[in-house]
Amino acid sequence: MLDGLIAFAGAFSVFANLTTLFNVAWATLIGIVIGALPGLTATMGVALLTTLTYQMAPEQAILVLISVYVGAIYGGSRTAILINIPGTPANAATTLDGFPLAKSGRAGEAMGLATCASVLGTLIGVLFLAAVAPALAEFALSFGSYEFFWLSIFGIIIAGQMTSFDDALKGWIAGFIGLLVAMIGQEGIHAEPRFSFGNSDLAGGIALIPALVGVFGLAEILSVMKGRAGVMATRTVERVIPRTAELWRYKRTIGRSGILGTIIGIIPGVGEDIGAWVSYAAARRASKERDQFGKGSREGLIAAETGNNAAIPGALIPALTLAVPGSAPAAVLLAAMLIHGIRPGPLIMIEAPTFVYQVVWMVVLATIAMGIFGLALTRPLLTVLRVPRERLMPIVFVLCVIGPYAITQRLFDVYVMLFFGVVGFILREMKYPMAPLVLGIILGDILDKNLRRALVLSDGDLTPFFLRPISAVLWITTALVVILALPPVRRAMTRMMHWEQKT
Amino acid sequence: MPSRPLARADLITGLFFVAFGFAVGLASYTMPRLEERMIDPWTAPGLVPGLLGVIIAVLGAAMALRSLLAGALQAAAAEDADPEETRSGRKRLLMCLVLCFAYALGLVGRMPFWLATGLFVFAFVAIFEWRAGDDGRARGGKLAAALALAVAAAIGIPYLFETIFLVRLP
Repeated sequence: MLDGLIAFAGAFSVFANLTTLFNVAWATLIGIVIGALPGLTATMGVALLTTLTYQMAPEQAILVLISVYVGAIYGGSRTAILINIPGTPANAATTLDGFPLAKSGRAGEAMGLATCASVLGTLIGVLFLAAVAPALAEFALSFGSYEFFWLSIFGIIIAGQMTSFDDALKGWIAGFIGLLVAMIGQEGIHAEPRFSFGNSDLAGGIALIPALVGVFGLAEILSVMKGRAGVMATRTVERVIPRTAELWRYKRTIGRSGILGTIIGIIPGVGEDIGAWVSYAAARRASKERDQFGKGSREGLIAAETGNNAAIPGALIPALTLAVPGSAPAAVLLAAMLIHGIRPGPLIMIEAPTFVYQVVWMVVLATIAMGIFGLALTRPLLTVLRVPRERLMPIVFVLCVIGPYAITQRLFDVYVMLFFGVVGFILREMKYPMAPLVLGIILGDILDKNLRRALVLSDGDLTPFFLRPISAVLWITTALVVILALPPVRRAMTRMMHWEQKT
Repeated sequence: MPSRPLARADLITGLFFVAFGFAVGLASYTMPRLEERMIDPWTAPGLVPGLLGVIIAVLGAAMALRSLLAGALQAAAAEDADPEETRSGRKRLLMCLVLCFAYALGLVGRMPFWLATGLFVFAFVAIFEWRAGDDGRARGGKLAAALALAVAAAIGIPYLFETIFLVRLP
């Protein structure tokens, strides 16, 4: 415990300098702007900044990326409140009450509440990050190949189920396609090329960042250009800083949403958007002013914004300790850490014990910057929202081309981005969630190596897969998720619940 | 449960995934087993992709079956609430795709990056802001704005990436 506290304090010393302040400030501000602009998501922002920070010192580069991540998830609330379009998918739940508030002339109040809720949500998540991550890393040391195999299957199944609310099948298909994409190129045990069709570029495999920039960049541009242009609810903003008494009134909602958001963030591939929806639903169930939800409820707005920001530190927990990202932007962060020579996974507390605490500080610093910018720069940020999409999207696309190219200097990665952009757009139009696909691309390698290693260890015997204690927990949970998603079981459950309510 | 128009699309994609899964399974089955290297047969490269192919085929079959039960074959197209907007949305999408592909496949790598970017940004803004009803003055203003943005992007983006962040561009 004491060692942990000393390491925590020591980790801060890395950031006690002006460079840090400068980097946090510009990166968080860029993050907020990226989040506020429809068509630029947090995932895309972190992916682009990975390119820009390629030459920086590792801890400063990761600091910049985390600042962009925190800023973007918050920045999307501006667009949600003022234009009724979520700036990032994480702010979809924010539109429900944020926009009605803005329409009724309380845009400033809504933005102030969203800012404070985001700050508090991130801070609640950070507490969990500091407390849970070291313990989880230690626990994960007992994971063997069998457990990692089940963890990857569990990740795909639960992410597929949770990111596509009413249609788990599409989520699972997206997830397994992601796993298959990871099979392209030389495999990790014998270096034998798979699905490369004699092409040396394909033999190198599909890198995560080009695929992500396609799915979250180009696909987003296509969606924005296809859809209707947004109209701002108001051009004037009154008082932004909320009263403390008002926030105190919603302390239960903030606490609940913070914890729920963090837990949702920890679940592999299930990130900020679901964190917001789950927090929002829970707040509505528990609220005394339930009928106000969807019509401009302050409580609903607070729940959504606390929930999505709390999911950020939550998503970092498995990314750091298991190398399994909790959300799509965390997946890019994971890739960026590897680029900078940091190896997340169960060994992180042994190989780089202070790094986890450094990440805690990074999130805290970004949160402070986000709060200050959010409350102080209301009017300049309004101008950002006035940029028409016709002028913004070509610039975003130029960045989509630069991002994948800059890391490897291969035009092949630009073509990968184009391919995934078009495929991602088609899949999205058909209601396939993208998060399981991204998770699949990361988990594919883990699944492939660990299944084959485990089979070698057991000489083809399947019993250890089912009887080892952690494996058993993972496969039983996975099986339950699948069974509960089957339509006949869901119908029976709904009938039972109605029956209970009647009696 | 998918809505009716989606049910037919789901049937088609479900069948596609069945075929795709089988193709992947077959390709994995015929992958080298590396017997000459005396590897453990459980580490054969085709094992995991083969399993994934089978799973995708099964999930595709489940989706095709579900959409059949949801009435995919009888499904009539849903009434379009705003056919005008749907048409112009499709037109914008197609134009955006053409411009982006022309830039990424046709221009980048074949000419200096700044020139490719300038041309793309100008074309994109000019085409999307073009309105048939504009008078000469409005049109001139829009073209001037497109040109200004294109010049700014052609100079600013390479400067930001190459000079400040030392990143190489195509």
